[in-house]
Amino acid sequence: MALDIKPTRSELINLKRRIKQTSSGYNLLKMKRDGLFFEFRTLLAEMIAAREELVGTYRDALKSIALASSIEGGLAVKSAAIAATSGPEVTVSRRNIMGVVVPKVDGTNLTTTVETRPTGIIGGSPYIDESADSYSVLISKIVKAAEMEATLKRLLEEIEATKRRVNALEFVVIPEMKEAQSFIQLRLEEMEREETFRLKRFKNK
Amino acid sequence: MEIAVVGSLDFTLGFQLAGVLRLHNPENLDELTSTMKSLLNEKEIGVVVIDNSDLLQLPERLRVQLSESITPTVLGIGTEEDNTLRESIKSALGVDLWK
Repeated sequence: MALDIKPTRSELINLKRRIKQTSSGYNLLKMKRDGLFFEFRTLLAEMIAAREELVGTYRDALKSIALASSIEGGLAVKSAAIAATSGPEVTVSRRNIMGVVVPKVDGTNLTTTVETRPTGIIGGSPYIDESADSYSVLISKIVKAAEMEATLKRLLEEIEATKRRVNALEFVVIPEMKEAQSFIQLRLEEMEREETFRLKRFKNK
Repeated sequence: MEIAVVGSLDFTLGFQLAGVLRLHNPENLDELTSTMKSLLNEKEIGVVVIDNSDLLQLPERLRVQLSESITPTVLGIGTEEDNTLRESIKSALGVDLWK
């Protein structure tokens, strides 16, 4: 890069300005990376707990539906499932964490009770109701985990990209600019010395 | 917005019992891929729940698209611990923070 630079004073001034701008950008990016990392660490602990809880709830739900199918019969479970007419609903909005757009998932009508189910209290069976309850709990956990997992993935991508930018500025862009700056300074000093020498020789003649 | 569940009949049955109405039971990988692609473009779907084993079968490019999607947000669930996120944290940050 240093070879493509014109060794002029205006170029040196421009370069000094660019180094200053790049250094402040580098500091800002470093702060952003640290902020994102802090946010990520806070969310990760919650995410690990939510994920473990989700797996546990899913296992319980599978057990309860297997129990319902074996006691009441697969057909009874299927007919109870078909009877369902209203389901859980979610609202996905976007929120911003340090410039990273992440989803915010809110759920409504996530859990159903025996009274609200179409099979009713008499038509249903306790085993089927229990498995429906387990799946309702599972859905509320899914809504929470979906938001957290998507947020973490996006934060991770942004941390990676910011880290790459910070490293590129620190190890490539700024050193190259500083190299170019010292090249111009040396070249200008050299030109000055040549000029002084030329004047001295001219004076001696 | 609705919740959509994608997977085998056994996988979706419990969700149907809890009231989820958008159920998709693809029979093969091609059908699964096209179902996921069409769900990505649906405005009325907020969350897509898919079996982890099915999610892992999908082409890499589609999986990236699914993980980047905000509406709908896609979540894979299964009885086994999913290490995909853990591995990506390790490769991105250089340390295993999943402890």
